Amino acid sequence: MSNLFYILFRRLRSPLIVLIIVYAISVIGFVLIPGVDDQGNPWKMSFFHAFYFVSFMGTTIGFGEIPYAFTDAQRYWVLITMYATVVAWLYGIGMLLSVFQDPIFRQSMKNNSFSRRVRNIREPFYIICGYGDTGLQLTHSLSREGIVVVVIDVDENRINELESDDFVSPVVGLCADASQSEILEMGGIKSHWCRGIITLINNDSVNLTVAIVAQLLNPDLRLIARAETPEGESNILSFGANEVINPFETFASRLALALRSPSLYSLYDWMTGKPGEQMQEPPALKRGLWIICGFGRFGRALYAHLDDEDVVLRVIESNREVRDLPSGSVIGRPTEAATLIKAGIKEAAGIIAGTNVDANNLSIIMTAEEVNPDAFRVARQNEDKNAHLFQSAHLDMLMQRGQVISNTIFALIRTPMLGDFLRIVSRFKNDKANELVSRIIGVVHDRVPELWEISITPDETPALCDVIKKRQVLVEDILHGEELSEKYAKEKHIAALLLFLKRGEGNVLLPENNRIIRPGDRFLMCGTYDARRHMLRVVKNINLLEAALTGEDIPAGWLFRKIYEMRHKSTIDQMLTSNSEKAGSEVDKTEA
Amino acid sequence: MNSEKVIFAFFIVLALTLNFGFFLGGMDDPAHHNIYELYAAIVVSLISTVLKVGDRTHLGAVFLATSLVADLQLIAAAFVWGMTEHIANETLGGSALGTVVSLSGGALLANIISVVLLVSDTITIRR
Repeated sequence: MSNLFYILFRRLRSPLIVLIIVYAISVIGFVLIPGVDDQGNPWKMSFFHAFYFVSFMGTTIGFGEIPYAFTDAQRYWVLITMYATVVAWLYGIGMLLSVFQDPIFRQSMKNNSFSRRVRNIREPFYIICGYGDTGLQLTHSLSREGIVVVVIDVDENRINELESDDFVSPVVGLCADASQSEILEMGGIKSHWCRGIITLINNDSVNLTVAIVAQLLNPDLRLIARAETPEGESNILSFGANEVINPFETFASRLALALRSPSLYSLYDWMTGKPGEQMQEPPALKRGLWIICGFGRFGRALYAHLDDEDVVLRVIESNREVRDLPSGSVIGRPTEAATLIKAGIKEAAGIIAGTNVDANNLSIIMTAEEVNPDAFRVARQNEDKNAHLFQSAHLDMLMQRGQVISNTIFALIRTPMLGDFLRIVSRFKNDKANELVSRIIGVVHDRVPELWEISITPDETPALCDVIKKRQVLVEDILHGEELSEKYAKEKHIAALLLFLKRGEGNVLLPENNRIIRPGDRFLMCGTYDARRHMLRVVKNINLLEAALTGEDIPAGWLFRKIYEMRHKSTIDQMLTSNSEKAGSEVDKTEA
Repeated sequence: MNSEKVIFAFFIVLALTLNFGFFLGGMDDPAHHNIYELYAAIVVSLISTVLKVGDRTHLGAVFLATSLVADLQLIAAAFVWGMTEHIANETLGGSALGTVVSLSGGALLANIISVVLLVSDTITIRR
C-alpha cells in the first residue's frame, strides 16, 4: 500500500503545487481588489468569500458573482484566474489519470491486491508456479477438491486466461517471475496456511531456482517439482524437494510396469486416477520387438526402462547427429512406411511414437497401423490443443505430459502418504500385487477407488481422539461404509481398506483390521466414496461414533443422555467390557 | 549546491517565519495579528507539505507528520476566524482571537520541530 501511495504522490507533486499556488494567487487577488456592494458602497471581499468564489470558479461550477455583482476590475481578475485554475485542475487530473495508466503503477496495484488476497486466505492453500497445460489441469483438479490455489506465472496471457476461468474454490493469480524470492513471499510461502509449493515451469533450471528459494524461505514446506531431464530431477531432489515428477520417466516406468506386472500397473493407475470412474483392464502388452520412434528425452527414458524388461528394442531416429544411439538403430524418417518396415514393424509387438512433433507422432501411428494392425500403439501428445486428434486415432495408450504430471501431483497432494506407499508397493512381487489388487476390487467392485487419509489428532478427528483416551478402539470399528441405519453395527459392511499406517517412525503396509488406534497415527485408506464420506463424518461426530461403536443410538442432549444412561447402565457396561476384552486380547505389534 | 534542497529548505523555513510573525503579539490585540500573514502561512505550509510527501525515509515520514500537524492547526485557526466574522457576525477579538492565536502557536511548535529536523539532517551530512 505504502508503495502505491509514494508513487502516486511523487508523480502528483508538481500538479499539487501548481494548484495551491494558482489558488493562493487567485484568492489574494480577490481579497485585494476593491469592489462595491449592492448600495454602491466600497466593499472588499473577505478571504472566506474569495475562497468560496475561487472554489466554484476553479471547478467550473460557476454560481455567478457572489455576494455582490463584480466591478470591472474584479472581472478582469476573474478572466485571468478562471483560465489559470481550470488549466491547473486539468493538469492535475491528467497527471492522475496518466499515473493510473502507468504500467509500473498498475503492476504494483496488481501486486498489492494479490498479496492482500493471499494474506486474507484463512484455509490451507498450495502455490503453483507455472500455469501451462499441466498447471491448468492441476489447478482445476485441486479447485474441484475445494483446495485454494495461488498461481504465479510469468506469461500475462495465461494469467488473463486464469482470471476468466471458472473455479469452484478461489484461485488467486499473479503475473510475475516465480523464481524471485519477493514474489514467492507475496504468494504466501511464509504463511502458516501454505501447505506446499508445486513448481511446473517447463524449464528445469527455473524449477531448480524456485526449489532453492522455497527451501530457503520455508524449509518445512512440501515441495513438489517437475523435471524433464534426469540431471534436473536429481538436482532438484538434492535441494529438499519431497517429490520430483519427470513425466517421461514416470510414463516409461508405467509402460515397463505394464509389461512386467499388470497388477502393479493397475494399482498405479487407480491410485493416480480419477476416483469413481469405471476401472480399466490393464493393457495386454506382449513381449517381443518394440520400436521406439525418436530418441530424445522421452525415447531415452523409454529405452532405459524397457531395456530391463526382457524385450527387443529398436530405435528409429531421423537425426544422424544424435549421439549414443543403441546398436541396431535405424536412421531414417519414422513417418515413412519403408523406415518402419526396415525396423521390423511387421513382426513388432508394439510401437511407440515419441517424437516431439504431434503431427509426426500421428503419422507414425497411422502408417504403422496400415502395415501391422496388431501392434500395440503408444503415442506421445505434446500439445493440449491436439487432444481430440489423438483421441480419434484409437491409440492403445496415450502419453500426455500434462496429464501424467497433474494426475500424479494431485494424488500426492490429496494423500501425501501415497508417495511412500507406492515406493514400497513398486517392490512387490507379482503374486503379492495380485492379492492387493483383488482385495481392492473386493472393496470397491468396478470403480476406481477413492483414497483418503486420516490423522488421529484432536484437530482432524476430535471425536475419535476423545474416545480412544477412554477406551481402546479397533480400526475395523470405524471402517464400515454403509450409512447408519437402525441396524447400525449389526450389519457391518466393510467398504474401505487400510493401505498404510504411519505410527511414529514406523511404517506398516496393509495393517490388519484389528489393530488398536493410537493417537498420532496416520492412516491411508482406499474404498468407495460413501465409505470415505461416512468415515470422515464418524471420526468428527461423537454421537455418530458412539453409535457406530456401541450400536446404540445415544441421545445427544445432556438431559436425555442422563435419562438414557440411567436406563441402560447395565447394558452399556456390558458392551464396553466386552469390547475392551476383545481389544485387550490382541497383541499389537509394530513393524518397522 | 542542489536547487531542490534550496527550495525545500526555503519553504520549510518560510512556513516557520510566517507562522512566527503571525503568532507574535498580544493574545488579545487584533492589531498584532494580520490576516494576510495567516493566509500566507497557510499557503506556504500546504506547499511544504506537498514537497515533503513521497520521501520514503524515516526522516521523511517525520517531516510529513509535523507538516500535517501545522496545516491542521493553521486551517483550524482560519476556520475559527471565518466562523467568527461571517457566521457569528462579530469582529474578531477576545476569546475567538485567543483561540486563533493559540492554534497558530501550536502550528508554530510543529514548524519549529520541522526546522530542527532539517538543521540536524543537514549537520549530519558533512561536506
